[in-house]
Amino acid sequence: MMSRPPRPDDASPAQVRHLLSGVCVHHLAEVERDLVQMDALLNEAIKKLCGSFMAIHRAIDQQHELLSDTAAEEPARAERVDALREEIGRHVGAAVTGLQFQDMTSQLIGRMVQHLAGLRDVFGALGADGANGAPEPAGDAIPAAPGRIGEGTGVRRAEPGATVRSAVNQRHMESGDIELF
Amino acid sequence: MMTKTILAVDDSGSLRQMLSYSLKAAGYGVIEAVDGEDGLNKARQQAVDLVLTDQNMPGMDGLSLIRALRAMKGYQRVPILMLTTESGDDIKAMGRAAGASGWLVKPFDPARLTEVVKKLIG
Repeated sequence: MMSRPPRPDDASPAQVRHLLSGVCVHHLAEVERDLVQMDALLNEAIKKLCGSFMAIHRAIDQQHELLSDTAAEEPARAERVDALREEIGRHVGAAVTGLQFQDMTSQLIGRMVQHLAGLRDVFGALGADGANGAPEPAGDAIPAAPGRIGEGTGVRRAEPGATVRSAVNQRHMESGDIELF
Repeated sequence: MMTKTILAVDDSGSLRQMLSYSLKAAGYGVIEAVDGEDGLNKARQQAVDLVLTDQNMPGMDGLSLIRALRAMKGYQRVPILMLTTESGDDIKAMGRAAGASGWLVKPFDPARLTEVVKKLIG
């Protein structure tokens, strides 16, 4: 008599838990890897952008000096050259402010990676219990798991719906407040 | 006239690059440090006129650096500005208690930054 292939119904809850946790751990690890790679790419890109941008600005400054010399005897032209310099300066300032996005996104990515690692630990603990054939999550691993999500993310316990404090609350790239004590 | 020197402490390379560029363009000398510990070592090696520091850095954070600098000979009166993404009143109060001279929220605008620096050290 031929035996029928195993169906999901045949799996015990512990085996299902083990299977699902393995899938979750795998996907979380993939997302984590992509985030780390994205952070590295952004970091390299911003360094190149900053370097090139600053070199362009230096070249424009030198060009301005040359133009100032030639325009010295024509007041209207000299005025125009100075006005252009001011305008370039304003754009440079705005660009420097905008280019700081990487500092913030890097902090946010770091925070996401910590959360993902915490979730991976939780699913890993669930899967380990399933693999051991435990009928229900047992031991200290599961109750302790939410705490691990909080480690490194600024909270002691990751309770459902709990708000985790973030160091980055900016929603726009306008320059921030200045307060002298 | 002697060039005023600023110690810029931030774990982000691009941020240090932009700080350095903006401050040098305004005529200041800049020493860069990658975290609090590095900042403290650089401050020990060379006296600086002003310190600009980030808060969240691996190892020694900005608040700890401020406390350590304030306990160091020659740094009781040196202006120390916090430049951070953090803007909560609680952490600002901690900064003030630690000895910060001011609080700047990122991202910074080069013109506004140099204006504040000029106001503090000329």
